[in-house]
Amino acid sequence: MNQLILATGGYDHTIKVWQAHTGNCIKTMRFVETSQVNALDRTPDKTRLAACGYQCIRLYDLESNCTAPVINFESVQKNVTRLGFQEDGNWMFTAGEDHRVRIWDMTAAPPQCSRVFDCQAPVNAACLHPNQVEIGMGSQNGSVYLWDVKSEKHERIVPEVDASIQDVAISPDGHYLAAGNNKGNCYIWSLTSSPDQKMSTLCPKKKISAHSRYILRCKFSPDSRLLLTTSGDGTACIWKTEDFTKWRELSIENYWVWDAAFSADSKWLFTASSDGVARLWKLHTKSQIRDYKGHTKAITALSFKDEIVSK
Amino acid sequence: MATYSNQHWLLSHIRNSFISTDDTGMCETVMLSNDLPKEYLRKFQINFQSGRSAGKTKSAALAKSDRIIRNPDAPLQECDFVCYPGLDLSDDEDLDTSTHSFDIQMYPEVGAHRFRSNTAQKLEKLDIAKRKAARIKSINYNEEAQPPENNDFFKRKEVVATHKQRPNTSSSSSSGSGQKKSPDDDLSDEGVQSKLTEQLAKSPKQTQNRFIEYARFDGTAQVGMPTKRINVYLSMLSEPERNYPLKICVISTAKIIEVIGFVCYKTSEQYPAVPLKSIQHYALYMTEDNDDMEDFPPLDNREPCSKFGFSHLTLAERRPLAPVTRVDYHGQLGNKSMTSEEDKSSLADAAVKALHNISLNNGQADPGGGLAGGGGGGGVAEEEESVRDYEKRLLNHIDMLEAPIHRSFRLNLIDKRFFKSEVTLGISGERIEIDQLKSTKFWSQKKPISTPIDLVVHCEIAEKRQYKVLLRIWLKSNSTSSSTFSASNCTSVPLDGSVTTLNTGGSGSGSAGIAHSPSSPNHSTLTNSSFLSSNIRFKHYDFDTDLHMAEQISNKLNCILEMRSSPLRREFLHQRERKLEKQLSKKQLKS
Repeated sequence: MNQLILATGGYDHTIKVWQAHTGNCIKTMRFVETSQVNALDRTPDKTRLAACGYQCIRLYDLESNCTAPVINFESVQKNVTRLGFQEDGNWMFTAGEDHRVRIWDMTAAPPQCSRVFDCQAPVNAACLHPNQVEIGMGSQNGSVYLWDVKSEKHERIVPEVDASIQDVAISPDGHYLAAGNNKGNCYIWSLTSSPDQKMSTLCPKKKISAHSRYILRCKFSPDSRLLLTTSGDGTACIWKTEDFTKWRELSIENYWVWDAAFSADSKWLFTASSDGVARLWKLHTKSQIRDYKGHTKAITALSFKDEIVSK
Repeated sequence: MATYSNQHWLLSHIRNSFISTDDTGMCETVMLSNDLPKEYLRKFQINFQSGRSAGKTKSAALAKSDRIIRNPDAPLQECDFVCYPGLDLSDDEDLDTSTHSFDIQMYPEVGAHRFRSNTAQKLEKLDIAKRKAARIKSINYNEEAQPPENNDFFKRKEVVATHKQRPNTSSSSSSGSGQKKSPDDDLSDEGVQSKLTEQLAKSPKQTQNRFIEYARFDGTAQVGMPTKRINVYLSMLSEPERNYPLKICVISTAKIIEVIGFVCYKTSEQYPAVPLKSIQHYALYMTEDNDDMEDFPPLDNREPCSKFGFSHLTLAERRPLAPVTRVDYHGQLGNKSMTSEEDKSSLADAAVKALHNISLNNGQADPGGGLAGGGGGGGVAEEEESVRDYEKRLLNHIDMLEAPIHRSFRLNLIDKRFFKSEVTLGISGERIEIDQLKSTKFWSQKKPISTPIDLVVHCEIAEKRQYKVLLRIWLKSNSTSSSTFSASNCTSVPLDGSVTTLNTGGSGSGSAGIAHSPSSPNHSTLTNSSFLSSNIRFKHYDFDTDLHMAEQISNKLNCILEMRSSPLRREFLHQRERKLEKQLSKKQLKS
């Protein structure tokens, strides 16, 4: 598949696949009739798209014309909030409101569960450390976890009481972990790993009062120089990781900005918002370059996998 | 069951069956305003009532006993116009509704010709679902965790210590005291380029599909929303491709114009090389599945696509109406005049006038030809002008055809120049109705008003302000001094009161209004000449609405009135003209 695609999903129970540079919708897939799309991710080989929602996890084949899923998880309880893949596609993690984060061996046929972690509260967010063995997690009771799936050790921190962690992110260079909560605050820890391959240690670095309302997503740019936070206050803010000062503010007034994704060179940003429109922004000028229109309700998740072509 | 020998029943049954099985929607424009069985009945009643002196029950009983031994040439009786002669009919209102044949149930999910049992369909659906499910791998989410056998399954990866850019930025910040960069510059691209940047550079902005706003009518993968699949032939494609339809799936609630936009969107995606005009240039035509376009007018832009049951359509440039429909149009007017002989000549006049107005037959060059052969020698501007002109006339024609179809509007009735109450205004070829919406304020609910179209004389936009428009509908006032001038054709619905009745409900002036209303339509007599007396008074209702709706209403209503061309309307316009003349002459005298 040579063309770059953007996948979006939302409250209209559909997943749409767009040609990223033109804004044309290539494909529409029916998700589950009873569920919104909470998160989307593509397998590293880009052939499959994984989507999770209320009581469901599904994997779709992007190369066939068939819009039915190729893998379906059964007897899923409650919302599945996040999923993602290890960089070789060997395993997938899922996080859900059933308090558990699961690791799925995708090399087995059929895929099977190889690890389970109990967060003791609904898990809102999970992300993979670039070292491919640690997973950062955030739960509804305000805890931030770092879990080593290899040794099964973990560390827990509660940055703010009576707040729910909405998203966690680890920078691609492995230096920072960020967690955003429902009060609009974003906490940053620096991660240090020892050469003897033990688990990384967390050291509080900074607290940003990023938004006036809910933070919905936080993400680091591929070059690790930018941190993005999206919020229910109708903005997406971009912070420089150098000193964590605000660099850009993108505004979609009166709508929640649910999700966002950087291009590989960190120059462009896709946003998904509750007006049912996905947008492509040129960060340098803060201008909107493309609209992706077609969803009939709020877009809550998007996925974009880019690559570097030249240096 | 009514007898099959009852001609009236047969007539009305054929009519209703035709309407209910017609997928095209054409019957509505041709037939709906024009219910022959009803017309005959009404005509008969008028004649009969004017002639009879005895009570109704008696005559009905007479008619019944008469029917049994009647010879075929006997004069018609009222019962000949009743579908179900056995039923006792209490009043005229009931008569009207009983002229319909039994209710025909439509099953929306059955589009095909053949009815299939529900179980057969369900079984087939289950079977398809089963086959689909077989292709989907299923995993139990709650299964026990099995640690990976391979020790290397979770493999720690060395994170490349820092990006190449990192030292640069940190050094620039540390040594930045001397050379402060502007915040926009401090993230230079370091020569990194992503595939997205590359592709965006190659595709400038204008490649964004200009029909993109119609993409949201895509029906594929819509959950819980009715959708419709249509095969659309595209007449603008060249030979091999145009024989194969574009398969689209749209949301059922999409209007035809939106379907056209969606087809354009799909076309521009699939055939980027084909130049498309704006959607106003296109129309959807009924088509056989061998892609032969039929000689019917295009589907109405304003209707939802769910209304039509076609599997195949053709998208083509709008063309002038085919001759077939023109004949229909004449026919319709002809039928109408036959129903009431008295009006025949005046209606014929109106028809000629109407046709003249919309200049369908005025011998101009066929604008469709001009369209098709465009780009030769004629200037573009000229061509566009002719297209616009043509579209305008086409719209006019459609307006004329559709004017008698019932439609309702929601707007505010102005009350004593001050109070407003929200009402629905229903307009059809037979009457206008004003019905107040529930519980606007604390005062009591007002009676709905229904006025036969014969009493309505004119509709105009009386006042235009920036956002609001005062719409005025004129009708004949009942509170004329002499009773001889009551409306002749008012048979079914008495006109209930004047403006004041509606406005103040139970108050004193309201009851006065009721007292003025004509006692009963049965008393009206057919006195054609008496119409033309200038004693007739007119009253008006004022509405407050926006310009767009006001134009729609006044167009529709005036179309109807124009076609009927009643003497009352002429009288009204005449009176008004005289008034204007008087005012003018006064002014001239003063100056």
